[in-house]
Amino acid sequence: MGVLERITGWLENLQPWKQKDSVPFTDLFVRFHQIMQENNAALELIADMEDKLGGEFVFDRKYLTDNVQKIEDILRRSAYNFNFITDNRYLEINAVIEDIVKRLQMELAGQIVIPKGKTILALGEIAEVMDDAVGNKAYNLSRIVNLPQAKVPPGFVVTIGGFRKYLAYNNLFDQIEALLKDGFRDEHSLESVSQQCRLLILGGDIPPELRREILVAAEEICEGRPEDCYFSVRSSAVGEDGELSFAGLHESYLNVPFRELLSSFKKVLASLYSPGGLKYRFARQMPPNDLAMAVLYQLMVPSRVAGVAYTLDPNNPQQEVCLIASSWGLGKVVVEGSGEVDTYRISRRSPHTILDQRTGSKERMVAPFETGPSREVSPELRDTPSLKPEEAAEVVETALILERYFKRPLDIEWSLDQEGQLWALQARPLGLSGTRGSRSAELKGLLKQYPALLDKRGVIAYRGIGAGQVWVADDIQDLENFPNGAVLVSHFAMPWLAKALPRASAVITDMGSPISHMATVAREFRVPTIVDTGLATSVLKPGQEVTVDAERNVVYQGRINELLHYQLLEKAPFEATFEFRLLRRALKHIAPLSLINPEASNFTAKGCQTFHDVLRFIHEKSVRTLVQVGADPHSLLRRGGKRLRTDIPLNLILIDIGGGLAKDVGKSEWVLPEQIASRPMKALWRGMGSPTGWNTDPIAVDFQGLMSSVTRTQASQISGQVMTGLNLAVLGADYLNLSLRVGYHFTVVDASIGPQQENNNIYFRFFGGATSLDRRSRRANLLHSILEKVGFKIEGQGELVLARATNLTVEQVYNYMNLIGRLIGFARQLDVLLIDDSTVAVYFEKFVNENNLDNSHPGG
Amino acid sequence: MNDKITVCILDDEPIVGDRLRPELEDDGYEVEVFTDSASAIKRVEEKSFDIVITDLKMEGVDGMGFLEKVKEKGPNTEVIVITGYATIETARESFVKGAYDFIAKPFRISEIRDVVKKAKRRVRKSRAKVSG
Repeated sequence: MGVLERITGWLENLQPWKQKDSVPFTDLFVRFHQIMQENNAALELIADMEDKLGGEFVFDRKYLTDNVQKIEDILRRSAYNFNFITDNRYLEINAVIEDIVKRLQMELAGQIVIPKGKTILALGEIAEVMDDAVGNKAYNLSRIVNLPQAKVPPGFVVTIGGFRKYLAYNNLFDQIEALLKDGFRDEHSLESVSQQCRLLILGGDIPPELRREILVAAEEICEGRPEDCYFSVRSSAVGEDGELSFAGLHESYLNVPFRELLSSFKKVLASLYSPGGLKYRFARQMPPNDLAMAVLYQLMVPSRVAGVAYTLDPNNPQQEVCLIASSWGLGKVVVEGSGEVDTYRISRRSPHTILDQRTGSKERMVAPFETGPSREVSPELRDTPSLKPEEAAEVVETALILERYFKRPLDIEWSLDQEGQLWALQARPLGLSGTRGSRSAELKGLLKQYPALLDKRGVIAYRGIGAGQVWVADDIQDLENFPNGAVLVSHFAMPWLAKALPRASAVITDMGSPISHMATVAREFRVPTIVDTGLATSVLKPGQEVTVDAERNVVYQGRINELLHYQLLEKAPFEATFEFRLLRRALKHIAPLSLINPEASNFTAKGCQTFHDVLRFIHEKSVRTLVQVGADPHSLLRRGGKRLRTDIPLNLILIDIGGGLAKDVGKSEWVLPEQIASRPMKALWRGMGSPTGWNTDPIAVDFQGLMSSVTRTQASQISGQVMTGLNLAVLGADYLNLSLRVGYHFTVVDASIGPQQENNNIYFRFFGGATSLDRRSRRANLLHSILEKVGFKIEGQGELVLARATNLTVEQVYNYMNLIGRLIGFARQLDVLLIDDSTVAVYFEKFVNENNLDNSHPGG
Repeated sequence: MNDKITVCILDDEPIVGDRLRPELEDDGYEVEVFTDSASAIKRVEEKSFDIVITDLKMEGVDGMGFLEKVKEKGPNTEVIVITGYATIETARESFVKGAYDFIAKPFRISEIRDVVKKAKRRVRKSRAKVSG
C-alpha cells in the first residue's frame, strides 16, 4: 500500500459515516444485489447491440445513442454502488468510465478516434472500422491479417495522425488549405496548385519523434538486420481503394532500402496532391478539406512470380470465372501494364481448373531487393508460363476466401515467393459496371426450380449468401479436417464451432440463439448464419451441396451461382451503411472483454478499456469485497451468515442476499441442504452429492505428487498464501457466488438466472493445487476439455481454468450447475492422479462416460 | 392497369428507406422513399399509393399528420406505422386514425416484409371488390 493510499485510508476512517461498521451488512447486500442486477441489464443491452450487427435488423442512430446512454447510466450507478460497498476504494473507476464515454461520444459524432499515443500501428493492431485513421488500403490488409488462410507481409501504418503531425510540425496546415481552397475553383489551376503543395511537403522535415517511431517499427520487422531489409512504401489515403479506387493516382515505392524509409514517407505524402489525384477529386466534386494520407510500410517478400487476380471477369460477371495476370519477379509490370504478361481464365469452382491461358513474351522484370531499373528476363523464362496450374488454383482459392469475407468482387495483388508461399499484397473492390439493384424476376423464377431444404426455419444471425458442401460437426474433433468453403452444420451453437468459422461459407444449427458466442464470432468473420432451425442436422446430409440464403432464410439443394453473384453485385452490402459502421465503431468501446483473468496484473480499474471490462471489474471486485468482509467466519455468523450442515467436509458459510434460503431457517446458526432455496445452488449441490461427484475414497498419492505437495505447502506458508479453509456461498433466489478453498484449489462459481434468457449465465474458475505445474496444467487441460465439450466458452490458459456459458435456458443452468457440482468433486485431487499426458485422456473418458456426456450435452 | 403494388416510405432517418427499398423491390413492389414530409405529402397528393410506411415521430415532421393526409386522400391505402417511440398511446392513436399495423424500431427485415405482405393481400382484396 502506498503512503498516499495509507493516508487517504486513515483520513477516510476518521469520517464516522464511512467506517465499515456503520455500513450494515444488509445495506451491503442491497447494493451488491443492485450491482448484480445492473450488470445483467447492461450485458443484455450489449448483447442486443451485438445482435444488430447481423444485418437482419433495421435500426437508426437514435437506437445507438439511446442504448449507449442507457449503458452509461448503468455504469455510473454501478460505480457509485461499488464504491459504496468498498468504502470508496475504487474511486478511479469513475474517471475510467468517463474516459470511455468520451471516446464513444467522439465515435458517435463521427470523429476519428486513434488509440492513445499511437501514430503508428502494426497491421495486426488495426481494429474494426479504423479505415478513417489508416486509409482503406491498409485497412483492407489489416482485415486479411485476421483471416487464418491468407498471409500478408508484416508491416505497419503511419496513420493520418502522423500526416497531421507532419503538417503541424512544418506549419503547413494553413498554407495548403489556402492553396487548395483557391485551386479548387477551376480545373486549370489544379496543376500549379499541385506543384506548390508537393513542394511544400517535400521541403518539410519529419518531426523527430515520428522519425524515431518509423525507424523503430521498421527495425522490429527487420529483426535486427536492417541492411538486408527492403520495404514497400505505399499510399493509403482515406477513401483510396474504397468504393473509389484512385488507382495509380498516388505514389507507391517498392524495394525501398532501410536508409530511404524516411524520404519515401515524404514522397508518398506529397503524392496526395498529385495533379491526377486533385483532378480526380475535382471531377467528383469531393471537397479538398478532408484530404489525408496514411502511409503503409511492408516488408518486401522475395517474389518469384507476382500479379493481379480478379475474382470475376468484369466484362462477363455472370460467368463462374476468375482472371489472373502474372509475370516474373514483382507485380509492377502487371500493374502498370508496361509489358506483355501471362493471363489465365480459371474456374471459380474447386479444383479451379484453367479454362484458358495465354502466355505473353515477358521481356522485362523487376526483381525483388533490387533498387535499380527493371532487367531483362532470361530467354528460357521469357515464354515459359509464370504459373503452374496448381499455383494458379491456389491464387484463386485464396482470392475467393477474401471475396467471401469482403462480400465484393475483388481486385487482388499477390505474390508467390521463392519458397512457394503465397502472399496477399492488396485487395480492393473490383469496379463492375451494370450492377443490379434487386432480385430479378428471372432469379426468383430460377430459385423455384431448386428444392428448398429448409424454408423460414430458425433465425438469421448474420445476413448473406453462401454455398458449399455440408459438413456436420457433432464434436470438436469433427472440425479437424473442416474444408475451406464448406457449410458448417451442427446441432448446438457451441462455442467450439468458432474454430471453423473463418473457413466456413455458411453456418446452420438446429438450436442456439443469435446472441450466442458462436454467432458473435460468425459476425466477426461475416459468415452467413442461421440458428435455431430445429432440424438442420436431420435434413442436411454430409457432403450434400447447398446454397444458404441467409437473407430470405432458405436453404436450397445445390449450388445456385446466380444467387451468389446477386450478393456480390448487390449495390452496397449492409455492412457499408453509415449506421452499421457507427454501430461497429461504438461497440469497439463497449463489447470486447480484455480483462479476462482476475489474477492478472492488468485486472485493475485503469486496465479497463471497454464498458464490458468495467462491468467485469466491478462484478468481480464486489464479490470479493463481500467475501473479504466476511473473512472472519465469526463476524460473518454474527452478521447473519449460516453454516451448512453436511457430510461433505466443506465448512461452508452461506450468506443470503434475498430468497437464497428457505424462510423457516430462523435464527439457527445451522441450516440443512434442504433449506437452500437458491435455484443455482440447489442444482450445484445435487451434483456435488451425486455418486460421480464428491469422492471420499482416499486417493493413493504417489511419492512425487506427495513431495511436490509438501514443498508447495511450505512455499505457500512462506508467502503467506495459506488458504484459510473458509468456504463461502453468497445466495440469492436466482443467484449464487460460491468461493471454495479445498486444499490448495480455489474454485469460484458465479451463476445467475434472470428475467430473460440473456441474463442466465455461469462463470467457473478453478486454480491452484498442491502438485507440480505440469500436473496442474494437465488438470486444467482436462477441465477445459470437459467444459468445452459440453458448451462452455474457454478463456483460461495454462493452469488456470476459466470457463463461461451465457444465454442459457433455465434448464441448461440447472444441468450445467449440476455438472459443475460433480466436476468440483471430481477435480479435487485430480492433479495428483494426472501423472502423465496419457492419463488426461483416460480421466476425460472416465468423466464423460460416467456422466453420459456423449449422448446429451447439458447445454442442449 | 399496372399490377404492381406501390409502396411509399417516409422516415427522416435515411437508413430506413435505404434498407427497406431493395428488400421490398426484391419482393416485387414499386417503392418510393422520402426523408422529408413535405415532398412525401406532395407526392401523395399526386399519386395514390397502395401501402404507406411511415415513422410517427421525426424531427420537424408530423408523422400522425401525414397518416391523416394519406387516409384522407386514399381511404383504401394501408398505412404501416414504424416508430422508435413505441408506446401504447401512440399506437392506439395511430389505429384510431386508420393505421393498419404498427412496428417498433428496431425491427427485423423479415418482420416488416411479413406485415407488408399481409397489407398487400388486403389491397388485392379491396381492388378486386372495386373492379368486381
